Amino acid sequence: MKSHVERLPVDSSRQIPEREPIRPRSSLQHGSKVQESTFWKPFKKLSAKIALYATVLVICLYSLFPIYWMIISSLRPAERLFLDTSLVFWPPDLTSYVSLFRQTNYIVNFLNSALMAVATITVSLVLSAFVAYGATRLRFRGKTMLVASMLFAYMFPPLMLAIPMAAAFRTIGLTDTLWGLLIAHLAISLPLAVWLLWGFFKSMPFDLEEAAMVDGCSQFEAFIKVVLPLSAPGLITVAIFSFLLSWADYVFALILIMSDQRKTLPVALQSLLGAHDLRWGEVLAGASLIALPLFVIFIFCYRYFVAGLSAGAVKG
Amino acid sequence: MVQDRRIVALFIGSISLLAFIIGGPLIYAVMLSFYSARSFMSEPEWVGLSNYIKVLQDPLFWNSLTNGLTIALSSIVLQVVLGVGIAMVLNKRFVGQTIARSIAILPYFLPTVVACLVAQWILEPNYGLVKTALASIGVGMLDWSSHAFTAKGTIILVSVWLWTPFVVTCVLAGLQTIPTQLYEAARVDGAGAWTQFWHITIPGLRSVLIVVILLRGIWMFNKFDLIWLLTKGGPLNQTETLPTLAYRKSFIEYNLGGGAAVATISFLLLSGVILIYLRLFPIDDAKQGR
Repeated sequence: MKSHVERLPVDSSRQIPEREPIRPRSSLQHGSKVQESTFWKPFKKLSAKIALYATVLVICLYSLFPIYWMIISSLRPAERLFLDTSLVFWPPDLTSYVSLFRQTNYIVNFLNSALMAVATITVSLVLSAFVAYGATRLRFRGKTMLVASMLFAYMFPPLMLAIPMAAAFRTIGLTDTLWGLLIAHLAISLPLAVWLLWGFFKSMPFDLEEAAMVDGCSQFEAFIKVVLPLSAPGLITVAIFSFLLSWADYVFALILIMSDQRKTLPVALQSLLGAHDLRWGEVLAGASLIALPLFVIFIFCYRYFVAGLSAGAVKG
Repeated sequence: MVQDRRIVALFIGSISLLAFIIGGPLIYAVMLSFYSARSFMSEPEWVGLSNYIKVLQDPLFWNSLTNGLTIALSSIVLQVVLGVGIAMVLNKRFVGQTIARSIAILPYFLPTVVACLVAQWILEPNYGLVKTALASIGVGMLDWSSHAFTAKGTIILVSVWLWTPFVVTCVLAGLQTIPTQLYEAARVDGAGAWTQFWHITIPGLRSVLIVVILLRGIWMFNKFDLIWLLTKGGPLNQTETLPTLAYRKSFIEYNLGGGAAVATISFLLLSGVILIYLRLFPIDDAKQGR
């Protein structure tokens, strides 16, 4: 690495060899070997292109195929589900979906999940905004400790939180309630939310609020009217990742919820498979429906997904 | 700096709530690990360190620890190798780059439950896609969940499919920070693609890779849902890890103290790793975690 850096100045004056006019000179210098390579160059370029596109195709197939297979299988009629391995299937058959809605609590479970997600997003946005803003703008000791402990908290083993919650909720009567589950979902989403917003508020210059305060706003008003609107991208990222954590949570819902009526989607879906008759059609239909809202959000908010991901901050 | 009282009050309120939600369970878990209770209902009894002694004397605990390390390590190695490879390809210029990139990170956002169900469906030993494919070339399908090696392999496979995109995204971001002059210089010096990769790309990605390996390592080691959904720790505890052991003890054997002790031990082990992480990447300089 060092040697390249040392040679840099010389190279910058010789950057051109890639360009056309220079090539005859270099072929003169190196003789027949280079001439041969110029002859093969278009072919080499073409084959490199083909190889590149083929690899990209393989990568996309590898990522997409299981998802595609799930959806296509869920659209087969039950009697063909186990025998048919054709890659394309037409026309789609909705029997699995119909029986999923008729014979299971899927709609109730869906509403539970949606309620949990909305509540988690709302509460964690509000709380994390106050914490993160305070951590960047207030003066107190142990600020770094606070932020480090957030980072620490989202690396906790989930069972380190789930076991004591299960025990404590039993004594205070929160077992098998969505309130209890909300507390658990907040415990996993808040550290991440604070961490993301802290990064966001930190990079925002204080001058903006100061200007608003000179104009007669209080700091609180400046926060609400100036800082929050400007942090919209950060808030959206936080909302998306709070949604993901709550929507996909299996561990806490498994441990804290018992009755079918209060189950969220991931647990409800898994318990379908636990039944004696293997209802793969319904299971795959249910799985496709869990993924559907994610795909929709993903398509519209791809930018925020990547922003949150490369903030190095997302649990998985 | 003027400090608005409302800001201070809201900050203190929120932070106390947060501390209560997260710190409360943490402290309670440690407390539970010193007690023994026959069930959730019965009166707990102080037993001191006896839960820890029982856990540490249990061969299953050590077995779970090594299983967890094996699964986490092999999964991470594969995730990093594959992730860097995919990122190198997606970093090249081609038509449809944005679409390819978004497809490549899509699996990451799939709920674990969905991924596990799809894996079980594809690998179904009687009518799954893999069975059909193998049958067409005359090879029989075995029940992957009843052999230790294939059960572990499946867990690793699914985890690699789900979480490699995290590595891809971080490496893609990291690749942007390597100055292109370095590559130009190397090309002029006659360095081939492979030499450039080893001497420019990998050193340039060093800090990104350390972060990715530490984070993914911690999360893989903590992983409960994936393993529970795929194998429930079976066959014969061959894929049991510390999280599944803690769950089994607490909620199947109703040994809350024992489960809390296992969770506390794995928490302590992880805290060591996290402290190394924070030492390597102090918060002050950390640009959003990297």
